[in-house]
Amino acid sequence: MRTGLLRLLIGTAAVLSAALIFSGVTRAQSTAQNISGKQFPATKPAPAPKRDLSGVWQLEGDIGAAPIAPDAQIPPMTPWAKTRFDAEKPGYGARGAAGGNDPILQCDPIGFPRIMMMPTPQEFVQAPGRVLQFWEREHEWRPIWIDGRPLPEDPDPAWFGYAIGHWEGDYTLVVESTGFNEKTWLSPTGYPHSEQMRILERYTRIDHDTIAYDLTIMDPTAYTKPIVTPHRIMKLRPGTEIPESTCVWSQENEFTERIRNPATPKK
Amino acid sequence: MAILIILTFAAPSHPAPQRDISGLWHYEGTGASEPIAPDPLIPPMTPWAKEKFDAEKPGYGPRRSPGGNDPILHCDPMGFPRILFLNTPFEFVQVQGRIIQFFEHEHEYRTIWIDGRSLPTGADPTWYGYAIGHWEGDDTLVVESAGFKDKTWLGSTGYPHSEDMRVTERYRRVDQDTIAYDITVTDPKAYTAPIVGPHRIMKLRPHDTMVEEICVRSEEKSFANRIAEPAVRKSSK
Repeated sequence: MRTGLLRLLIGTAAVLSAALIFSGVTRAQSTAQNISGKQFPATKPAPAPKRDLSGVWQLEGDIGAAPIAPDAQIPPMTPWAKTRFDAEKPGYGARGAAGGNDPILQCDPIGFPRIMMMPTPQEFVQAPGRVLQFWEREHEWRPIWIDGRPLPEDPDPAWFGYAIGHWEGDYTLVVESTGFNEKTWLSPTGYPHSEQMRILERYTRIDHDTIAYDLTIMDPTAYTKPIVTPHRIMKLRPGTEIPESTCVWSQENEFTERIRNPATPKK
Repeated sequence: MAILIILTFAAPSHPAPQRDISGLWHYEGTGASEPIAPDPLIPPMTPWAKEKFDAEKPGYGPRRSPGGNDPILHCDPMGFPRILFLNTPFEFVQVQGRIIQFFEHEHEYRTIWIDGRSLPTGADPTWYGYAIGHWEGDDTLVVESAGFKDKTWLGSTGYPHSEDMRVTERYRRVDQDTIAYDITVTDPKAYTAPIVGPHRIMKLRPHDTMVEEICVRSEEKSFANRIAEPAVRKSSK
């Protein structure tokens, strides 16, 4: 029941957040921990441990249906991408409408990098040769291989791609990924990508409790320039565990009919 | 021929590392849709379980029929322990305080906490439960789990369980390449005696890697319409 309630709260928060986007109001203080009702102990910034991102982290600030980047920062699309973009019917953003075709509505995987923008926590676990990244959302995970291997040349396209990483200095994990299928959207506001998409991420642990996160998407099949997303901050959530939050179609469908559709403006 | 067989079986196997089951493993000899235990080994059900059992329409086994209601047909999670009995590999990764068990099927995982904590009481039930483990000697990981939703089946041939289900597993690393595996399902609300699964052997697959295999509802639906349903219709005639 508790997860159901949490889900409802987050879902409601997503709808509210969408409403904020529509009305152009921003509220930087609206943080995920307020919404979920969780209270995290105040911690003093301590020096960051070296080459270590272990722990449960959560994006600060933006919650809910935060787009991967504001529309104005998305570079012009290629004709290939524009055709796909025009066929999308997202539930959020300027094009938001009820009865959409967002793939996640039927529990198809949210995929990477869209999963990174969720308000739910994620966790890094460091194991020999790899950093494991777990997301509460969809109970998903990916390995980031840090054993020196290169990216595969011809990977089978996957929902969460293939990722390698290396440390730049003692505090920044640089992650490169490729091998994505083209079935996912970049954002709840839509935006397609191709199988040629490559992603560069930088996780810089600026103090004990803080990661500065930057994400750049390079996909010349779809966009005429790289998409440089806004700088984001993640905060450590000590003493928390990631609960199992699985997308269950039978429940998701009910949620859409009961909450999403009534909350989305009719067009 | 006899000599060859002896040589094969007598091939030196390295001793098992201590308190370590890291690596990618695969069952020996079992195929897909293996039930948790053969029907004769399933103890009598309670009336509560029998009612659920009668409502199940599995796609495999003696009760298989087309138009089934196996929850995985629309990509609801397979859940634990059913996910253990598939012809796909899984991997253990050991880190401080926990062992993470990754399943290729459904791209799933569960955490086995080995930091001395107890099983939680009153936690929300989940598809993969809550698991704790401890080492018995240097070669056997004993895993206790509970906190399961009652929406999953124990196997592809059906068989329900309740939220009171508790699972005890023993992973004994017999040698470098081998785990001897035993599972017992205790669920007095559903079965009049514990279900003791047959002894199974898992083999290390040091050169294999897992692929991303996610149940995708849109694809699963098309598979059911195109392959699974016609196959069951044909075989149940």
